[in-house]
Amino acid sequence: MSIQPTLPEPIRARLSGEPLFSVKTDLSSDGRFGDLWFAVTDQEVTLWDADGEPSFRLDVTELSEARAVGGIGGGTLLADTAGGPVVIARYTAALSSAFGFAAKLITALAKQEELPAVSEKEFPRYCPSCGNPLAEGTQSCPICKSKGKVLFRMLRYAKPYKAQMAAAVVLLMLTTVIELVPPYLTKIMIDDVLQPKNTGSALLWVVLGLGLTSLVMSVMQTVRGLIGVWVGSKLMGDLRNDIYTALMRLSLAFFDRRQTSQFVGRINSDSESMRQFMTDGVIWVSGESLRVVAIFVIMFGLDWRLTLFALIPMPFMVLVSLTMWPKIGRRWYQQWRSIFRLNVLVGDSLQGIRVVKAFGQEQTEMSRYSTANRELVRNNIRIEGLWQGMFPLFSFVAGIGTLLIWYNGGSSVIRGDLQLGVLMALIAYLGMLFGPLQWVSQMINWASHALASADRVFEIMDTPSDVPDARDPHPIGTIRGDVVFERVSYGYEKHHPVLKDVNLKVKAGEMIGLVGHSGAGKSTFINLICRFYDTDEGRIAIDGTDLRSISQTDLRKQIGVVLQETFLFDGTIAENIAYSKPDATPEEIMRAAKIANAHDFIVRLPDGYDTRVGERGHRLSGGEKQRVSIARAIIHDPRILILDEATASVDTETERQIQEAISRLVKGRTTFAIAHRLSTLRNADRLVVLDKGKIVEVGTHEELLAIEGGAYRKLVDAQKELSKIKGVEG
Amino acid sequence: MSGDLYDIRIFEPKDVMFSRGTGGVFQGVLDGKPYPELVVYRAFPFLYTTQYLSIRDAKGEELGIVRDLRELDEESAKELEQELQFRYFLPRVTRVDSVKQKSDLWIWELQTTLGPTRIAMRNLHEFMQFPGGNRIILTDINGKRCEIADWQALDSRSRQQLTDVV
Ligand SMILES: Nc1ncnc2c1ncn2[C@@H]1O[C@H](COP(=O)(O)OP(=O)(O)OP(=O)(O)O)[C@@H](O)[C@H]1O
Ligand SMILES: [Mg+2]
Repeated sequence: MSIQPTLPEPIRARLSGEPLFSVKTDLSSDGRFGDLWFAVTDQEVTLWDADGEPSFRLDVTELSEARAVGGIGGGTLLADTAGGPVVIARYTAALSSAFGFAAKLITALAKQEELPAVSEKEFPRYCPSCGNPLAEGTQSCPICKSKGKVLFRMLRYAKPYKAQMAAAVVLLMLTTVIELVPPYLTKIMIDDVLQPKNTGSALLWVVLGLGLTSLVMSVMQTVRGLIGVWVGSKLMGDLRNDIYTALMRLSLAFFDRRQTSQFVGRINSDSESMRQFMTDGVIWVSGESLRVVAIFVIMFGLDWRLTLFALIPMPFMVLVSLTMWPKIGRRWYQQWRSIFRLNVLVGDSLQGIRVVKAFGQEQTEMSRYSTANRELVRNNIRIEGLWQGMFPLFSFVAGIGTLLIWYNGGSSVIRGDLQLGVLMALIAYLGMLFGPLQWVSQMINWASHALASADRVFEIMDTPSDVPDARDPHPIGTIRGDVVFERVSYGYEKHHPVLKDVNLKVKAGEMIGLVGHSGAGKSTFINLICRFYDTDEGRIAIDGTDLRSISQTDLRKQIGVVLQETFLFDGTIAENIAYSKPDATPEEIMRAAKIANAHDFIVRLPDGYDTRVGERGHRLSGGEKQRVSIARAIIHDPRILILDEATASVDTETERQIQEAISRLVKGRTTFAIAHRLSTLRNADRLVVLDKGKIVEVGTHEELLAIEGGAYRKLVDAQKELSKIKGVEG
Repeated sequence: MSGDLYDIRIFEPKDVMFSRGTGGVFQGVLDGKPYPELVVYRAFPFLYTTQYLSIRDAKGEELGIVRDLRELDEESAKELEQELQFRYFLPRVTRVDSVKQKSDLWIWELQTTLGPTRIAMRNLHEFMQFPGGNRIILTDINGKRCEIADWQALDSRSRQQLTDVV
């Protein structure tokens, strides 16, 4: 089913031919919100206003090219005509894909080239039933999905423990029933023992009965408590595992857009509030509701007329709960957001603590923190205050019921219609209702908290990976290492392409040097080979197999990467080198380190290969870190080696040594190396020059140097110039 | 002005003139040289919305900076401002009609300087930004953005709608 609204019939009828493409734009030409229809036929480009009247028309023959010029939050579709550029339509960012396509289509029409095919993903998607936007990659509309689903989905986590939870509920029920005994015994004591001044053994029995019930109760409470703790901890463990698994599955693009330290807090706090609801919440709700029913049954049995007074405040309480519910949910979310902001802030400044200290900005960071902290305190007071106020309100209202019973029951006792013991028992039972009552407000609190958490957790779990594994991946075994780029385009932000129409065939065993200005797209190029991101257009194939149909585990086994930002894990150097091959022998580790020219300095460290490098490898110098990560990349003997500025932080002599070692290793392997220091790439079989996302030159060093005014030659000249100024060789 | 490649070129108000071409495209004459298509960038889109405007040619090469839109002649200032509005599509919210959470979408009904609109967010913590002061930037699931310049300055009903979300 198409979820794209179709061009209204009256407009269609007035077009010169069949529409090739049509879309409803959301801005009028003066830049205000407004619905206009945009349609392209093979002869004309048209725009129609809301009443179906034409508001713009351009003949295809008049224009030479169309461009979608992206602004911020919106864009403009321009046509170049003989009389200069002309604005065709304006649109908000939601439609950039659609108009990006429109521009291509119109250009193809004007130049009489082959027309590109429309795909669904060019359009923003709206829910077919309620018209709200659908998030990218999702099928189900979040609005039409009911809240109940979240609840059930959350409760599914409790399923493996249903036996234990049932036991806890049964125990709770028993405790509840037993708890109801003492007031009844008290009634017997007053009416049958104390008032008639009965001097027999009855008093002793009644007191013994009271003692026994309280003993049984505490035993059962302990057991139930233990079960609760056990189930709760297990549940939380499961939840945390699932959240973490979901996070690991997500693509890099997900993390690019988010500050990562936030997830530390989220994994823990969200799973905690979900646990609280599921164990404490579910067990208590079932137990306490039973208690309420039992109390009412007994009270009705004792005196139904008086009991009715206790029911008077109930409708009011239900009403208050229902109206408060959404407000509480929102306030919890608000409080959570201030914690979130605080976490992000702490994560940020601690990750950059070196920079903070280097610029002496501790004071600024502290004041930023206290602002966020004040906000959290404020929200804390708001939410806690709200529900702290709610319980006393409930108690007060329920207390009115008690007062009514006191008054009416009291007069009955005075008239002699009612025994004093019955009245006392009624009052005691009514007092016991306050327990469950408190849980009602607590429950509202927990439930809204838990549902909000569950929402966020499931949001992570439901986010589809941008680089999904194929359903039945192509087994590749050990590859030869042919890499082919076919018309590849990619942009981190859709429609702001960073790589444009890249074509390249790399033979197995070839060493390719990638050069170009900073920001030209070199790192992006290799990110695509690693399949950190998927191409927007075109395809990349290894040994003739599309990357998308290779399982990512298989793929990464064949690739060794040294990324531009070196990152070492908290652990020993040996562990870091063996990261991709945990079963590596010490010899293999040393051999890899030797190739990376790291062996010497590692052995000279007091703790050798067992040196803990700490978070991010702060205890090593920049060049040392790079060498450790080179060792990490080569240890599993990859068929494709990727070096992104791998030797940028080492001196030229060390670089030469690493290069020699690598060039031995590189034999028979496909290698992609990026370097700004062009001398680094002298071993490359071919150099690929990238400029603003396009390949501008490909060839050997000599070939490229021979191109008069070529891009590579300019780069080389610039570097020569630089080393001349500095008086050293680059 | 020196021809120093490494210095920022600031236009004198008398050196620039902006207008709109017949096709509706922003164009102008800079230092006596006509350009059929110009693009304007805000250097500080959040802090200085009408100051420090980078004027670039169609290819995106910077020609110079206009220090303040108000220094320009009336016609140029009007066109430049209009172009900014086109390029930086960020309607300013004048009234918040409602903020509702429907299942797991937050739906905002807004009145803006550019007409009424509706914004849907997946959540608040990623789609609402607080760049400082009382400013709020709202982002739609599909990337549409609106701005609340100062939420404290909105009418009381709008503020009421915002109490539990800011
Ligand atoms: N994660 C990202 N999200 C959004 N944009 C990005 C991201 N990474 C890079 N870019 C943008 O993509 C463009 C190309 O970046 P890339 O890292 O490929 O450049 P590069 O050629 O490796 O540069 P350098 O030599 O400085 O490392 C840049 O304009 C950059 O701003
Ligand atoms: Mg790079």
